[in-house]
Amino acid sequence: MSLLEDKVVPGREERAGACMAYGGTACGLGQADGACLKNQNRSFSQSGLCMALPVMGMLLTLPDTAVVIHGAIGCGSTGFGMNINNRLRQLQRGNLNARDGFWVSTNLTESEVIHGGEVKLEQTIYDTYKRFHPKSLIVLQTCAPSIIGDDLASVISRAREKLDIPVLAANCEGFKTKIWATGYDVAFHAIVHGFIESDKEGRPPRKQRRKEGERPQVNIINLASVGQPDEEEITRMLDAIGIDAYIGPNYGTRESIRNMTQADLTVSVCPTHDDYFVDYLQQEYGIPSVLKDMPIGLANTKSWLLDIAGHFGLETRAKAFIEEETAKVLEAVAVFRQVLEGKRVFLSAGEFRALVTGSLFQELGMEVVGVRSYHHDNFGRDYYDKLVEAQQGKDFAVDIANFQPFELTNLLRRIQPDIFIGHISDNVWAAKLGLPVATIFRIFDYYVGYRGFYEVAKKAARVLRNPAFNRNLAKNVDNPYKQEWYEENPFKYIKSGEVSSSVKAASQPEIELQKGAVQ
Amino acid sequence: MSNFIERPRYQCALGGALATINSIKRAAAIVHAAPGCASSADGAATAGSGYWGAGYCGGRATPSSNILEKEIIFGGESRLSEQIESTLSIIDADLFAVITGCMTDIIGDDVKGVAAEFQKKGDPVVVAETGGFKGTSSKGYEVIFEALITQYVKKGLPKNPRLVNLLGLIPTQDVFWRGNLIELKRILANLGLEVNTFLTPFDRPDSLRNASQAALTVVLSDVHGQRAARVFEEIHGVPFITAPLPIGPAATRGFLVQVAGRLEVGEKALDEVVREENSWYYSFMENVADIFNDLDLQRYAVIIGDSNYSYALTRFIADDLGWIPYFTAVTDLLDEDEQEKIKSRFENIAAELRPKVIFETDTSQIAARLKKDLASQANPYSSPISPAFVLGSTLDRTLALENKAGFLSVTYPVTNRLVTDQAYAGYRGGVRLVTDILSVLLSNR
Repeated sequence: MSLLEDKVVPGREERAGACMAYGGTACGLGQADGACLKNQNRSFSQSGLCMALPVMGMLLTLPDTAVVIHGAIGCGSTGFGMNINNRLRQLQRGNLNARDGFWVSTNLTESEVIHGGEVKLEQTIYDTYKRFHPKSLIVLQTCAPSIIGDDLASVISRAREKLDIPVLAANCEGFKTKIWATGYDVAFHAIVHGFIESDKEGRPPRKQRRKEGERPQVNIINLASVGQPDEEEITRMLDAIGIDAYIGPNYGTRESIRNMTQADLTVSVCPTHDDYFVDYLQQEYGIPSVLKDMPIGLANTKSWLLDIAGHFGLETRAKAFIEEETAKVLEAVAVFRQVLEGKRVFLSAGEFRALVTGSLFQELGMEVVGVRSYHHDNFGRDYYDKLVEAQQGKDFAVDIANFQPFELTNLLRRIQPDIFIGHISDNVWAAKLGLPVATIFRIFDYYVGYRGFYEVAKKAARVLRNPAFNRNLAKNVDNPYKQEWYEENPFKYIKSGEVSSSVKAASQPEIELQKGAVQ
Repeated sequence: MSNFIERPRYQCALGGALATINSIKRAAAIVHAAPGCASSADGAATAGSGYWGAGYCGGRATPSSNILEKEIIFGGESRLSEQIESTLSIIDADLFAVITGCMTDIIGDDVKGVAAEFQKKGDPVVVAETGGFKGTSSKGYEVIFEALITQYVKKGLPKNPRLVNLLGLIPTQDVFWRGNLIELKRILANLGLEVNTFLTPFDRPDSLRNASQAALTVVLSDVHGQRAARVFEEIHGVPFITAPLPIGPAATRGFLVQVAGRLEVGEKALDEVVREENSWYYSFMENVADIFNDLDLQRYAVIIGDSNYSYALTRFIADDLGWIPYFTAVTDLLDEDEQEKIKSRFENIAAELRPKVIFETDTSQIAARLKKDLASQANPYSSPISPAFVLGSTLDRTLALENKAGFLSVTYPVTNRLVTDQAYAGYRGGVRLVTDILSVLLSNR
């Protein structure tokens, strides 16, 4: 099945063999049986995330859109947090009158849970349209209406007939998958069906072949969490080798999103985020893709650029650019390298981003001593080995966890890295242990390309220069775990789930971690 | 009021219960729900209330059963039992509260039965069904308090005639709940009273455990905490009064008189506290007087907030700050009785200063109704509310911009400020509010 044919987006467990519970080492993960991993769970767990959050995070970025959240009043309450990024991105783009995102809740109550919420949903869609005259309207189906059997599909098809704007539908019931990254697929599914496949004008025709001498137009798939600085660096790099970058679909309009079907190549900056959409463009519009690297760190940026250039015969130009930029940035980071060389780094983020950022730090002379990835899937499979090889076979701890800070805290106390690199919401746990922290993937910072290489190195060196805030914090605040927990195997609570009869349950992977560091 | 709710200015019942539990020092929630519920509620609590953060065992550390399709089909009770067991063995807390989301309530898990197994063994576990479809954070606050009062508070303790329980400020829904409770406790302590605030970073579960000793519960809200106070009365014989959140000298004096009237507080002690606190307030206002008058810092005020703040702020603006309240919007989802109660509160404000009061949940409709009102008062020269000031949530920044008004975010959600120990309640809170409001007007100097 594919994005075009799927009525409802399958969970990543099915589509990409994703798992979210593994504890051990990089080498151990490489040898583990994917089918077993997929079924692993936890008997103690802390709050995860559901796909409604990434879906709303992505779709709220569409300008002048209205989001209808069909559910109880709390679903979508994180809209305020998403709205902050949304506003700031508009300001970054020079729009000083940044508008707040717009969403409504159908406020499903006890009575609707009993009698059904379809009527209320339908009315809400039309009232919302009347009230705001949005340029598109998006319906998010949450857990409760789904379980009481509200028929979203028929409400949407009636709304598409009655309204003169694109209507997008997103099935994002949190209980349907343990892998919230499925939400990216759901958002792309909603975008494609709303703006392209079910659009009033139908889907745009396939583009004619690019004429000789024309600059190639390349889609760059963005993420809601990629900021203006990174977009500028991507555009600058591609422009330098003679390619026009076209960034979307987040923050894109109907027209700009439809125009993505007319590109000469689709380029991902995060394969695990984009593949569902990229495959659609390839299958339906014959647009080839580059979907294996993320331009973070020098080697990754190099292969990413060469892959793109290779599609248009621009390798010579690309090589010259890469050589020049590499020399320039290596000279510039030399001052930070003195501080960073030999330091031990622990990374935590979405799998692919954590891993490529590990490569970046290795290029600065640092050793990766641990990675915590939100989930594990086919895209990350070989990368762990790559990191081990790059540091002369030195293995490192791996925790695959949909957050689960109890495991992280235990691990960090054992490993005692010199610096912790974490995605938003991960950092506080390292901070409470007194570790220097450099946050990653804020929309105000550079991460990709050469500028990103420089800025990340600079940030890490800056953080190491004065970690007093966190050091003092650790002396004065407590973590919520019993002392005994720190003596336990950090992955004690990971259990093998039900597996189909032909597959034997995996035994708990052995971990070898330094215990001496425990205070 | 419409069928749906635009950018709801509150969380769901689960969110209210979770924020309440996470406000108690050394208490931990065990959320029995789908994987996103706790994170979603927590995200809203932290982004919307001046970056509260994860704290001790909140945020992503919140224990949660993260139930999936399998549990929806076969029931989630055994998963919950496993999760309570493991939580008790790993989390270092004095009180555990099992709270639920929509899914587990809809499929009908017997969470009370599961929790009872642990309660029998003497584990400090309480349980409440807080599925989001049951109501807003206000409902969640009531339900979790009811659970605490019936399952955790000790029965049959001797009464302490000087002990008071404070209820009615919902953590994060009242963005300044910590500072407000601390300030009210400070003032009441000056009257010789002991105060249970329950929800500040300095309150441990034992204050709850022994709260049945109180002689009186003071509910700081006409809406929030009313049910909890009634349960306190029914189960533990603690009577209650309703005394709305007091901001500034005028309201706080009335608050103290009302509370003192119900307890053994001598008139002399009361007078002395009022005099001292008042003098503290005016010791600072004496120095504000120059700029207030020289720069004509009086404004027409538009006030937007929940049932607690809409009245409390309006009263302060009218009686202490000497501004002109023009338009006040109450954003809670209220039934008719509750609306009547709030309306009658506004009658405490002198008729000539009483604002137009509307009940409206939706930000865009509040703006539309103000616009319509202003259009009906139009004149060739300037807006009827010029110079204007808006006290509301961060959502109302747009309305302030459109009316060329000064703007301070005070009511949920507040995403553009960091909130720690600030208080707006009481005397010191009044000074703080004057300072924050007028600082906005001076920010371009």
